[in-house]
Amino acid sequence: MICSVNNPVQRRFIFRCWVSGGLVVLFCIFAALVFRLGHPHGILAYLVAALPALPIVWALIATGIYLDEEKDEFQRNMLVQSLLGGTGGILATTTAWGYMEDFAHIPHLDPVWIYPLFWLFAGISYGVVRWRYR
Amino acid sequence: MKNRLRVLRAERNWSQADLAERLEVSRQSVNAIETGKFDPSLPLAFKLARLFETTIEAIFTDEK
Repeated sequence: MICSVNNPVQRRFIFRCWVSGGLVVLFCIFAALVFRLGHPHGILAYLVAALPALPIVWALIATGIYLDEEKDEFQRNMLVQSLLGGTGGILATTTAWGYMEDFAHIPHLDPVWIYPLFWLFAGISYGVVRWRYR
Repeated sequence: MKNRLRVLRAERNWSQADLAERLEVSRQSVNAIETGKFDPSLPLAFKLARLFETTIEAIFTDEK
């Protein structure tokens, strides 16, 4: 998302995002194995099932840390605009999808797609913002 | 907001990258400010003024 990596703050942010992405995959595999082999019940089942969401929460916190640490106000402004674009994009898409599910009976959109879609929209938005300031 | 950054930079023979390094911001930031696409905050405007040893009003004018 952020092309220039000369900035140590940006490097740390990108590193945290990669760690978060890796942990999501690892925790998904772990949760799938636990449910396949262990058949957990009750609270434990909920905790294991929610485990892949933890790195996602961490990535959002890491984004907040980046915005706090970044001293370059222009770079900060570009990321904020991109995040707003991502938020707007995912809100518009899921709302439209919801109505289409209700009235046009299209397939259900699994909520686990919301987070990756948010970053997809934020990434597209970042490209547009960079293009505007080129 | 219009500004005289390009002129002030040229007088000192600084590239955008040189100015960015002195301001501790990215080159894209300098470019965005210089082309009037991004208005700097007051602290950054003061930093620019100090760097060029002038006033904020001498760098930025409130015109479109």
